[in-house]
Amino acid sequence: MADDALLFCSFDSGRDGLPAGAEEVLTLARSVASARGVDLDWLVVGPMPAGVAEAAAVHGVSHVDHVDDPRLGEFLPDVVVAAIAGYCARQQPASLFFSQTFDARLVAPRVAARLGVGVVMNVVDLLATGEGLVATTTAYGGDTRVEYEIAGHAVFGVAGESILPEPAASPGAATPRSIAVELSGTRERIRTVKKARSEGPRLEEAQIIVAGGRGLQEAENYRLVEDLAAALGGLAGASRPIVDDGWTDSSHQVGLTGKITRPVLYIAAGISGASQHMVGCTAAKTLVAINTDSDAAIFKYARYGIVGDCVEVLPALTRAVKGG
Amino acid sequence: MRIVVCVKEVLDPDAVDNYVLHGKLVIGDDGVTLTQTSIPRLMNAYDEQAIEAALRLRDAGIDCTIDVVCVGLEPTAILRHAAAMGADEITIVPLDQAKLDGRGIATILAAYIKNKGGADLVLCGRQASDDDQGVVPALIGELLDAPVVTIARAVEIDGDQVRVTRVTPDGDEVVETSRPAVVTISNELGTPRYPTTMRTMKARKLTPVQATLESLSLSAAEVAPLVRVTRQYVSSVQGNCQFIDGATADEQASALVGVLRAERVIS
Ligand SMILES: Cc1cc2nc3c(=O)[nH]c(=O)nc-3n(C[C@H](O)[C@H](O)[C@H](O)COP(=O)(O)OP(=O)(O)OC[C@H]3O[C@@H](n4cnc5c(N)ncnc54)[C@H](O)[C@@H]3O)c2cc1C
Ligand SMILES: Nc1ncnc2c1ncn2[C@@H]1O[C@H](COP(=O)(O)O)[C@@H](O)[C@H]1O
Repeated sequence: MADDALLFCSFDSGRDGLPAGAEEVLTLARSVASARGVDLDWLVVGPMPAGVAEAAAVHGVSHVDHVDDPRLGEFLPDVVVAAIAGYCARQQPASLFFSQTFDARLVAPRVAARLGVGVVMNVVDLLATGEGLVATTTAYGGDTRVEYEIAGHAVFGVAGESILPEPAASPGAATPRSIAVELSGTRERIRTVKKARSEGPRLEEAQIIVAGGRGLQEAENYRLVEDLAAALGGLAGASRPIVDDGWTDSSHQVGLTGKITRPVLYIAAGISGASQHMVGCTAAKTLVAINTDSDAAIFKYARYGIVGDCVEVLPALTRAVKGG
Repeated sequence: MRIVVCVKEVLDPDAVDNYVLHGKLVIGDDGVTLTQTSIPRLMNAYDEQAIEAALRLRDAGIDCTIDVVCVGLEPTAILRHAAAMGADEITIVPLDQAKLDGRGIATILAAYIKNKGGADLVLCGRQASDDDQGVVPALIGELLDAPVVTIARAVEIDGDQVRVTRVTPDGDEVVETSRPAVVTISNELGTPRYPTTMRTMKARKLTPVQATLESLSLSAAEVAPLVRVTRQYVSSVQGNCQFIDGATADEQASALVGVLRAERVIS
């Protein structure tokens, strides 16, 4: 029965031809669809990213539904919400899945309100139980996990960093369908008067990150973080307090309310390891911590630790990297 | 104009973090509630910044009343703090948050706002530091049919326009919308003001206005939860750190670089 289908919604073009986090969310949604014996469909809102057809087949998607409109070329929140709500009115999907990007954090709850269903964000796992669903989420910045029980359908924002993408047991038909949704009556209420200007490489995609925290002692020492990052061909990150104090700007903040990163190497210097910082870097393959306090929480997450003064260790590392 | 600020009472996230770090966080018999009474109850930090954002509009010469509202059992202390900061009116809807979901809370807050004859600006925190959900403001926006602008570091009013500087992953963005609007405030707004002793003394005697489901003409069914918290537990962290020794920083550094090269983490 098609109207029981689970739906993955994407409305960004992401990078490398796939919307951000698509494979992780598809993996999670697929597992629930299999347990339920229902279809998994994918709604693409706006321009079609190049890699969708292939990823859809790999992840066992039945239909790739496309809602397009000239006004969906750039992100207009009211138009995107109207497009998804309009699609749902026609196709009547069951639960909806979003990859929890910055924009999806706003779109997902608004769509839930339009559909009159519940919404759960920060989902890291989801289980079908009898008639219902149990969503596991992070709370207190990752210190705890909370399970939500959902009786009917819901909208889920998935934080996919800890999900390992896995192809479906059998590929999906991924049949493309074009779905018409009338958007001419939707007025966008938000006007962008100054665009965000993305400055060069992004922390979210960096392979190597060196991040500094309050343990750097003073603003000038943030340079030591930048020097090591440059020597390693990586980017500089920061904890929230030093961003709040203006040692660097907020585009460098890693964590719950900053960037969620997944580099190969993350070096944390003078960072205590508060949960709200760690959610932004625990997906790193190798985490190195430099801290004067051998009991600091960060060492619980780290693969390698140096107990020492980061103001001395950072330049020593820069020398060692350059020297060999 | 009327500004409504929605504030939530939360357990101090730093105290929770500290208990978790030391393996001492206690979860009650219901499997959900953090029961340690030693954990302070505070106003969600972003919500305090939302009040600050409202006060800055007043400082900038906007003629406004600032009403602060909270759905919760006993949030009188945080509401008095709101009054001490400069709120004109404080309202409590004394219902147990644990028995409500985001939809229920948003329904109550939207009904409160409508009951007041509407608001020109609704300010919220970007997310609550306990559940980290960040859904209530967007739900309020939909219920009021008002535009929602998230993650603001600055809010200005210019006639009937609201101008918001948002902190996005690509840097700051400036957007405009007409009032009424819902705006969520992020920590980049800056430190909230500290109330003067005189204002704190005066606020101590204030009794919050009470609102109930009945006074807001809401039925229990309208606020019944669609999603229900059934379990909470402490996340496990593996902890297999290998410490790098060395007599000097340079020795430690070259030992670490050696290990990282051997494992081909760096070239
Ligand atoms: C809702 C919410 C959201 C949040 N979002 C974020 C977020 O996105 N990102 C974020 O980072 N934080 C966030 N926080 C804040 C977070 O809880 C911590 O307060 C913050 O991460 C701590 O930063 P820090 O480690 O730099 O500072 P501190 O906790 O002060 O730690 C400094 C560390 O440096 C060590 N140190 C001191 N001197 C030296 C030295 N000379 N050499 C080496 N080490 C030294 C100390 O032992 C200590 O461990 C959030 C908090 C809340 C409540
Ligand atoms: N119980 C509540 N009472 C008043 N405002 C709330 C309540 N819960 C949430 N809010 C508001 O909604 C924001 C986001 O909360 P949440 O969706 O729970 O993360 C908070 O920062 C508050 O501004």
